[in-house]
Amino acid sequence: MGTTYKKTGIVVSILLVAGALGYLALGNFGDNLVYFVTPSEVRAFTPDHSRKKVRVGGMVVKGSVHTHSEPVGLTFELTDGAATIPVVFRGIPPDLFKEGQGAVVEGYWKDGKTFYATMIMAKHSEDYMPIELKRAGVQLPKKDFMRTLSP
Amino acid sequence: MIVELGHFAVVIALVLSLVGIASAVITLRTRNVDWARVGRSAITLIFVLLAIGMGALVTAFITRDFSVAYVANHSNSKLPFFYTVAAVWGGHEGSLLLWVFILSAFSTLAVWLHWRTQPMIMPYLIGVESGVMFGFLALIIFLSNPFTRIFPVPPDGKDLNPLLQDPAMVLHPPMLYMGYVGFSIPFSFAMAALFSGRLGEEWIKVTQRWTIFAWLCLTTGILLGGYWAYYELGWGGYWGWDPVENASFMPWLVGTAYLHSVLVQEKRKMFKVWNLFLIIVTFSLSLIGTFLVRSGVLTSVHTFATDPERGLYILMFVATVIGIAFGTLMMRSNTLKSQIVMDSLVSRESVFLFNNLFFLVATATVFLGTLYPLIIETLQGAKVTVGPPYYNTVFMPIAIGLLFLMGIGPYIPWRKASTAALKKHFQVPTIAAMVGTLLLLVTGIRSAYALAGAFVVIFAATAIVLDFGSIARLYAHRYHVNVVKGFVSAFAHNQRRYSSLVTHLGVLVLVVGIIASTIYQSEKVVSLRVGDEFMIAGYHLKLVKIHEVEGRNWIAKEGVFELYRDGEFLTTLRPQKRIYTESQTPTTESAIYAINLGHVFLTMPDVSPDGEAVARAVINPLILLVWSGGGMMGLGVLLNLFRPRKKDA
Repeated sequence: MGTTYKKTGIVVSILLVAGALGYLALGNFGDNLVYFVTPSEVRAFTPDHSRKKVRVGGMVVKGSVHTHSEPVGLTFELTDGAATIPVVFRGIPPDLFKEGQGAVVEGYWKDGKTFYATMIMAKHSEDYMPIELKRAGVQLPKKDFMRTLSP
Repeated sequence: MIVELGHFAVVIALVLSLVGIASAVITLRTRNVDWARVGRSAITLIFVLLAIGMGALVTAFITRDFSVAYVANHSNSKLPFFYTVAAVWGGHEGSLLLWVFILSAFSTLAVWLHWRTQPMIMPYLIGVESGVMFGFLALIIFLSNPFTRIFPVPPDGKDLNPLLQDPAMVLHPPMLYMGYVGFSIPFSFAMAALFSGRLGEEWIKVTQRWTIFAWLCLTTGILLGGYWAYYELGWGGYWGWDPVENASFMPWLVGTAYLHSVLVQEKRKMFKVWNLFLIIVTFSLSLIGTFLVRSGVLTSVHTFATDPERGLYILMFVATVIGIAFGTLMMRSNTLKSQIVMDSLVSRESVFLFNNLFFLVATATVFLGTLYPLIIETLQGAKVTVGPPYYNTVFMPIAIGLLFLMGIGPYIPWRKASTAALKKHFQVPTIAAMVGTLLLLVTGIRSAYALAGAFVVIFAATAIVLDFGSIARLYAHRYHVNVVKGFVSAFAHNQRRYSSLVTHLGVLVLVVGIIASTIYQSEKVVSLRVGDEFMIAGYHLKLVKIHEVEGRNWIAKEGVFELYRDGEFLTTLRPQKRIYTESQTPTTESAIYAINLGHVFLTMPDVSPDGEAVARAVINPLILLVWSGGGMMGLGVLLNLFRPRKKDA
């Protein structure tokens, strides 16, 4: 009787800990998913989307980048060819961020007018491919495919 | 010519891997040891041939033979010599060749090392290792050949990605691969145990050092990668939960679980199926890690060009290995039931059990976060990512749980711990942890994670330090020597245990570094001109001038900043904004000043033509503890690896 009781205790405590850890791992999962969308999809957002963090991939419109220094940041336009969205970012863009090239921004489409980016990603190298851009159907010249976007 | 020789050598190696598989099967059928000798020769020859292949590729890089497509794509005439060698594993094809070359070296070593003592294991070892080598060699020859020539020959090569032109990046891939591949030896022995039905503890004891060695390499590889990311990528962090970081972290997590769980089988003959399961998972995750990085399915700083064919091949290969391994495990599992049951929840067995549970949940979390986006994309076509906040939320409690277990594990008795034993070992650490946490609370530390972390770290560290102190005194007393000599002889007496505790202490130091540099990091981004200054966390930075400097294959604008604290001049920091001339790729080079175990980390990501610069300063308190803790972990493992053999109990 004593042994059975002890065994049950061990099994129950393992299940309890496993359950708690499982809840920890799965319960937080849904809220931390960030979807990848195109500027066209952002334009179609309803107000419900405003609190959901998303990633938007597109091309930085030539001539649209304006930097400011107090505080340090920049504004620019991001396009997928069909639609264009204005982006505001506070901070420093990555080394490879450039006009006329691909970029992915992460942030919120807060007021239905402007995209507030918390992170900008851009990468360029012969070896790297813009998987996200390519799958998002962004049409770029062959040469421009040689970029990728990294977290 | 030498390139063709290398290519030919690798083709022959592919054929020989088939010979290795065949010889293993025939040995098992005929029980004729001569066939095993054939297999041993085949494995040894594969190693020699792949050494020739590697040598040929290195030569092609050193002689800057741009008629080889791989060389032309990953180096150019201006690339410094040091990096031309590292460029061999700067891309997909060369990385795979290095992977299988290391595998062949380890297999050869294992076959010769264990030939006399483990004759029954040999055919399985030869078969499994040849099989894995066959898979990788076929991939190299048919789908990603580094020896392919191009015509017309380009006048110069493309540059090696500037971010990879770094000493840490030279060592990072080989270390990781040695870790991945190192686990293939215990994996082979485990498969041998499964196939042959010799399921005792022997395979674990024989492969113990292999496991520790593989773990050491993997840990070093991961730490080097973090260190590189820290100063090279210019964002002042060392871990970003990037899918490829995750890919190397998963085998590490399960490998660590395995490293601990085998102790239970050694001492108590429990967890037999579980240990086989863990080593199979560890090696499978090593293969999956290679797959994730090499197939291009993940978007990340590391992923090389997408090639669906290659990805599909690796996926099928990994699936085959995992399928065979788990299939056999399942067929055998009912003969493996251990007769010993756990006596009590308050016992060392139980601590190990929970250790494994925590490590596996951690692995499952990383696995889910890394692969869920792939699954969702395949099923729904939607692109998602799982952000760092998810991992941080899940890992904080898991880490604290593991550290607590680390504090009690080495001191709680096997079978069943009495209240007296618990009091003896844990009374002082508990009091110390409470006092320490209270002191931190008084000094103004309010973060719950920092306080919980401090509690478990002090608890675990006190337990270890008390232990070291008491053995030192005991031996000093017994041999009438001073305490230091007493400690040394006590240490040598049970080096396996005490070196592990050194590794544990290293983990604790590392954790303090991670907590402090994560929670108490401060950052400031400013726009300034020459003569301007700014303040951050008590430091004062002044931009003195901006000038141009030039390297062999780059030009840079260098900002010269003077760093002051409390009016006292500390140093001059020189961050750079570089342009690598061949690829026209810009990079941001950080400047770092170490003070009070922390770092002042400065970058100058932008300089406009009119002289306006953007500077980013990050203060990372106690970050040096991250790297010194890592070093201490490594030291502990080395002491474990090179312990006197006869003392093995």
